[in-house]
Amino acid sequence: MAAQGKRQLSSAPLQVLFYLNGWYFAAFFIAEALMFIYKGLLLPYHESNLILDVVLLLLFLGLETLRLFYGWKGNLCERSLALSLSVSVLVPCTVLSVYYLLLQTFVLRLEFLLNAILLCFYSLELILGIMTISAFSR
Amino acid sequence: MTVINSIVPARFLTLIAHLVIVITIFWSRSNNVQACLPLDFSEEEYNTEDTRLVVALSVTLGLFGVELAGFFSGVSMFNHSQSLLSLAAHCSASICLSFFVFQKWECWTYWFIFAFCSVIPALCELILFIAVFGLKKKPF
Repeated sequence: MAAQGKRQLSSAPLQVLFYLNGWYFAAFFIAEALMFIYKGLLLPYHESNLILDVVLLLLFLGLETLRLFYGWKGNLCERSLALSLSVSVLVPCTVLSVYYLLLQTFVLRLEFLLNAILLCFYSLELILGIMTISAFSR
Repeated sequence: MTVINSIVPARFLTLIAHLVIVITIFWSRSNNVQACLPLDFSEEEYNTEDTRLVVALSVTLGLFGVELAGFFSGVSMFNHSQSLLSLAAHCSASICLSFFVFQKWECWTYWFIFAFCSVIPALCELILFIAVFGLKKKPF
């Protein structure tokens, strides 16, 4: 067909990262939700701050789902537009991750570690994403 | 097929869980060091035990490097035997180290967790590296 003779451009390392990042973010979300329950019950959490942090967590879930979907689809279908959108959504996801790493009301050590690992994922995906977009556009 | 598909992320998540707890122990190890010293310990005794525990934790992080390298390079990502061994070892390690932190186990108990839950999967990983790159076996 049309694809015969055309070289495969999808990135296998990027696909591995998206796949594992999806599973990791599911575990991350569950851990964060449980930690917010813990902090809400045991620490003097101001109610408006707690609501803000929980709403941002749900926003984080939506953005991450969107980013992983478009990254996955863009990589496998070799569409640079979808993958570019995924890399664009990476910016607000990084901002939210840094917020949970440093700026929220109470930061547990476990949260610090989980967000640090998530930022490692984001760094690798950014580099591989840009390389893959370059390969698609060539 | 569903079970086989699930074993790769399950292995990755247990590996990350073990890594997270080990780094947490780095932060909170003073309780465990004091738990294996007499009540009237001296500064020198404390430093000796603390150094020993730090060495154990650092070697554990090195072994994590070996396992993550094997996993991400694809050498053992789809090897079911290694995945099951890694899953069992790191799951056990996560549970034992949770007790280690919360129950403030004495610091010498860490060596047993280290030997059974970090060294064994890392050694099997090295064997797979030799088999795949040295003996040209397929990584499945």
